[in-house]
Amino acid sequence: MDHSVVQKLTAIVGEEFISTRKDVLLTYSASASTSYDPVIPGAVVKPADTQEVSEILKIANEHKILVTPRAGGSSLQGEVIPKKDGLVIDLLRLTEIKVYQDLRSVTVGSGINFGNLDKFLNQYDLWLPVYPGSSLSATVVGNVAVNGSGFGSPKYGCIAELVLGLEVVLPNGEIIQTGSEANPNAPGPFLRYAFGPDLTGLFIGSLGVFGIITKVSLKIFKRMHHFDYNTYGFETPQEAEKFILQCKENEISATWISIYEGRILDFFLEMVGEEYGVPQHEWPPFTVSMVIGRVREDQLVSDSKAAKEICEQAGGHVIGIVELPREEWNDRMREFVRSSYIHGWHWRILYHHQTLSQWHRTLEEMWPIFDEFGVLGHTAGFQSGHSSYNYYPQIYYDPQDEEDEGKAKAAHKELAKRLFKTGAVPFKLAPYWVDGITEMEPYLEFLKGFRKAIDPNNIMSPSAIPRIEGEGE
Amino acid sequence: MKKKVIDDISRIVGDEFISTRPDVLLTYTQSASMASDPIMPGAVVRPANKEQVCEILKIAGENKIPVTPRSGGSSLQEEVIPEPDGLVVELMRLKEITLHKELRSVTVGAGVTFGELEKYLKEHDLLLPVYPESALVCTVAGNVSVNGAGPGSSLYGCIGELVLGIEVVLPDGTIITTGSEANPNASGPYQRYSFGPDITGLFIGSLGSFGIITKVSMKVYKRYKFYDYNTYGFETHEQSEHFMVDIKQHDINGIFTSLYEGPVLELFMDMIGEELGIPAHEWPFSTVSMTIGSVREDLMKSDAKLAKKLCVKNGGHVIGISQLPKQEWNGRLWFFVRACYVHGWHWRTLYHHQTPTNAHQSVEVIRKAMDKYGFLGHTAGFVSGHSSFNAYPHLYFDPQDPEDEQKIRDAHKELAKALFKTGAVPFKMAEYWSDAIEGMDSYMALLELVKKTIDSQKIMSPRKLGGI
Amino acid sequence: MTEVDLEELMENLAQCRRCGICRDAVYEKMGFDGVCPVWKNTAGFETSFMRGRIQVAIALIEGRLEKTEENAESLYTCTLCGSCTSICAAEFDPAKCLESVRQVLNEIPNETRDTIAKKIIENNNPYVDENKTRRNWVKEVGFDIPSTGEVLYFTGCTAGLKLPETAISTAKVLKAAGVDFAVLEDEPCCGSVMIRTGMVVEAKENAEKALDMILKSGAKKILVTCAGCLKTLREDFRERFGLDMPEVLHVVEYLQSLITSGKLKLKKSDKTQKITWHDPCHLGRALGVYEEPREVIKAIPGLELVEMNTNKEAAMCCGAGGGLRSYDSGLAKKIAADRIRDAEDTGAEILATACPFCEHNLKDGAASIESNIKVVDILDLLAQRLE
Repeated sequence: MDHSVVQKLTAIVGEEFISTRKDVLLTYSASASTSYDPVIPGAVVKPADTQEVSEILKIANEHKILVTPRAGGSSLQGEVIPKKDGLVIDLLRLTEIKVYQDLRSVTVGSGINFGNLDKFLNQYDLWLPVYPGSSLSATVVGNVAVNGSGFGSPKYGCIAELVLGLEVVLPNGEIIQTGSEANPNAPGPFLRYAFGPDLTGLFIGSLGVFGIITKVSLKIFKRMHHFDYNTYGFETPQEAEKFILQCKENEISATWISIYEGRILDFFLEMVGEEYGVPQHEWPPFTVSMVIGRVREDQLVSDSKAAKEICEQAGGHVIGIVELPREEWNDRMREFVRSSYIHGWHWRILYHHQTLSQWHRTLEEMWPIFDEFGVLGHTAGFQSGHSSYNYYPQIYYDPQDEEDEGKAKAAHKELAKRLFKTGAVPFKLAPYWVDGITEMEPYLEFLKGFRKAIDPNNIMSPSAIPRIEGEGE
Repeated sequence: MKKKVIDDISRIVGDEFISTRPDVLLTYTQSASMASDPIMPGAVVRPANKEQVCEILKIAGENKIPVTPRSGGSSLQEEVIPEPDGLVVELMRLKEITLHKELRSVTVGAGVTFGELEKYLKEHDLLLPVYPESALVCTVAGNVSVNGAGPGSSLYGCIGELVLGIEVVLPDGTIITTGSEANPNASGPYQRYSFGPDITGLFIGSLGSFGIITKVSMKVYKRYKFYDYNTYGFETHEQSEHFMVDIKQHDINGIFTSLYEGPVLELFMDMIGEELGIPAHEWPFSTVSMTIGSVREDLMKSDAKLAKKLCVKNGGHVIGISQLPKQEWNGRLWFFVRACYVHGWHWRTLYHHQTPTNAHQSVEVIRKAMDKYGFLGHTAGFVSGHSSFNAYPHLYFDPQDPEDEQKIRDAHKELAKALFKTGAVPFKMAEYWSDAIEGMDSYMALLELVKKTIDSQKIMSPRKLGGI
Repeated sequence: MTEVDLEELMENLAQCRRCGICRDAVYEKMGFDGVCPVWKNTAGFETSFMRGRIQVAIALIEGRLEKTEENAESLYTCTLCGSCTSICAAEFDPAKCLESVRQVLNEIPNETRDTIAKKIIENNNPYVDENKTRRNWVKEVGFDIPSTGEVLYFTGCTAGLKLPETAISTAKVLKAAGVDFAVLEDEPCCGSVMIRTGMVVEAKENAEKALDMILKSGAKKILVTCAGCLKTLREDFRERFGLDMPEVLHVVEYLQSLITSGKLKLKKSDKTQKITWHDPCHLGRALGVYEEPREVIKAIPGLELVEMNTNKEAAMCCGAGGGLRSYDSGLAKKIAADRIRDAEDTGAEILATACPFCEHNLKDGAASIESNIKVVDILDLLAQRLE
């Protein structure tokens, strides 16, 4: 990177918080995304606050330096792999947390991860009830930028649905506050849909292409203390799907719902069953693992009873093994990570959503592709809001075997295409989806128009959503 | 408007569905908005489907004709007052309803009103649980573009929160579908946050500035079977406001939670109390009127019991008059319209949101304005989501007295400023807010950039969005 | 009162705050599944329902809109059915106001309106030159009907001249019930259509003439089979023109107790037919007569009454009223066809009503969509089942 630029940046953040050292840059060339080619950036800065982010972006914009914002570095889909000689803006120093108890909301800086926040809110007997798989490293802001979901999502949806507003620095350095806090007199965040149109959404799932989110305000809730854990067995996927649909319709307050196909559950328990103390069991063809959570005990008792009745009406039976859902839930900030890494494989992931009633379609596409390409892998998922189901197929490979990795990449690409045809959707337009999608040109053109208007120099998060970028790069 | 343009549009919609007659145009100069100056458009067109909307917008674009989309025409804040010699695109013919039962969602055309949808969904034991005041007139798509709220919002928030995706015709005629249906293979709407960034939100509360919404897809729910209706009395603002927060915090299914100050409630009861069979009562300093709804009886009962406890805990007392909330909820498609028009006054309204614990600030500011300007009016409001409170002040005037009307216009303007200073926010940037907001320059600049990007010719709903 | 108090009218019109509920409200609780039949059956611009008409009316009265035939079209493209009044949230009767507006603006040219008024003044009916033919049906009833007496059957122009079966049926039914009644020799028109279309001075002149003829017959009680006649004779003659009328009753009101008490004997039936009831606007919404005809139908053996989706206060109009049938017969028929579809949706074989004007238009509507439903007057039903 041009020395004069580095000097200007140094003047903003101080020498301590900028680096162009090779060893440092190397660590920013990759993230938790496996099977992505590392790229060495030109510099990394760690700004202290929004103002510094703004100053940095002004410099970058002036010099047309490609900027990759980054927080927890835990993303799995190549979101924060920088550009060669580009600038990485590491946002972990923005660690402010402010709780608004009367407004049932919290504002966090972009350096706050879910683990930090959970501990903080616990003091007030409150919580942010969506926990992504990488809660202990993922920042809340980063999760908003990729629009994640996780434990808690069956009841509360994806993280987007909890956002009340955000502070964002546009590529030209302009600082925008959305939601009710757009009114500088507002006592805090209390309404996302203020001063409509809703500009907040533009930055949710934006993968950083429109600017850098420096703060996000979210809905928080009184912490639940009453839980019911259970497993429900079904002979067909349709029964399991019907069970979940009816639980949702009947106000069962499920904070975690996962459907396991028999063989996947066996595989999963082989890995973590003993560790989680899940007893041996002849699992049925389809198992639903569910956590019901309530603020009040009597509601929980009622829900638990109603869920059992619904299970039987749907043609299933109550298995009664509580350890599986209980341990998943109690270990919710680590469980995904544990089960993702315990087996030793590297993998590519393909987050997507199906309708709840089409839960089985992903499996129908995935297994044949695995056979075709000769790869190993599996998928798990969870119910993720009003009527969707969040899947995260993992395609395994041996990182030391290039051919194997190539197979995984090819299978991944093909799976995206076929899933798209089933009507599946991603939360965000990650690059590999853009390849897989067809007949969405007007939609992409629309975004392209924005990209051009907001970021005329094409500096923000290059390649994060490739097909909306201009030609000038 | 040029004859050529009219002829071109006629070819699209047929002669029957375009008019330039003065009597017809006259009826499109206004809407349900009072104390607003009528403006004569150049033509009104009633397209039958999105393809026609698309063709019409292309012609408007080529000829740089300002376009005002309109459906129910029930908006109160001048959202559909056209431009001089502009084109009104009236969308009431887009009547399609598609239910996606397994996706718990419904897709409706821009001409479907809440009343029509309610009837339709009821047959399937479902509901769209937010009902704006003008539910019998106003369309769902129109309500999405002004982002409304009403009974049901206390639990579900504003209509924006129920949207799963939209179909919109952009000013250049491009048709896009957002949400999961952006995938042409999707079986229906099931996830708004698909293919992020979320562009659905851009059209929520957009007042038609970015294009014409031709369809919206909404979350639907199973109809409640069990209700509890009650009124709770309090002696201070703090008591009633904290009660409202507590209700939310304890996960009580308050689907409609209204707050009335004593004198305001007296006024309402004078007007419609008898008609609605609400017993005479010495109403306290402030009254919370709440409907609890649930699909399961035991949950409802548990909520009702806890609500009483929380009321007392906050220093209040349970009034026990159930008719008020019952009428509010059961008459939700009618009650508010009736209350708005029974008294004979004309009025301007100034919808806004406070935090629940700031609800009293609106009342104070409005009372001050009433004293200063010497007009009659009132305000009440309801919990409108996670932690907001929707206040709907009415400023009365006599339409046959221009001086009186001007007074209200002035008071309205000043009130918007004063409310903004209390930290209040509107759901959407209606035109009159643009004078009231201070310290939002960069926000407005971004909004302008968005506008410029989508509507480079600035033909869509000019001025509506904060004056841009 | 033939003069309209303009100030009061403007105040009333200002009650409309354009909420639009009068367009197409679907509100189960009040029975509404749509409101304005004209909006529904036309191109549907704002001028085609009450909110728009009121704006046009105000603008015409205030001179902001030129007083031309075209600009006043929307004022006449209305059946005055009053559906909007039933659902209006304000303290306001828009249909009644529109009637006054037509009167205030009756200088605006309107050939249809003027022709009807002229015919009624000249011929005592809007249909034919030779009014006396309206008593021809009497020859077919098989007994003599005097032209004077205490009970007068006021046939009405439509039954007399267009649907004499109804008149014949009525005569048979009255006879069977033991009622001695008279029918005027040269029966005048009640003038309803003149009042509805704003020709109130002419209507008053006609009313005075009519009352004179009625009184000369010695009538102490007037029976009618037309809902329009009922409303006009019972209400408008007194309220608008200050005329002191004898009691006016629709035959269904008069007969209800005779039938339900069994004084009028009806034949038993071994089969059951589904029948539905169309509330004439002038009988129902205007005068609140909803239950009497239903009670009568329920008392007729072999009939099962099923209600249409919209009924009573929320009933959709047949399309004929307010002068629309003359002003825009195509539209009137379309509205009638819509009502026929409502009736068909109930699965009924028979659609009954108690107004020849409704019946006439509904029959045209049924024919236009080739419906097989039988449109009948309630008196015809009774007459067929006399013992």
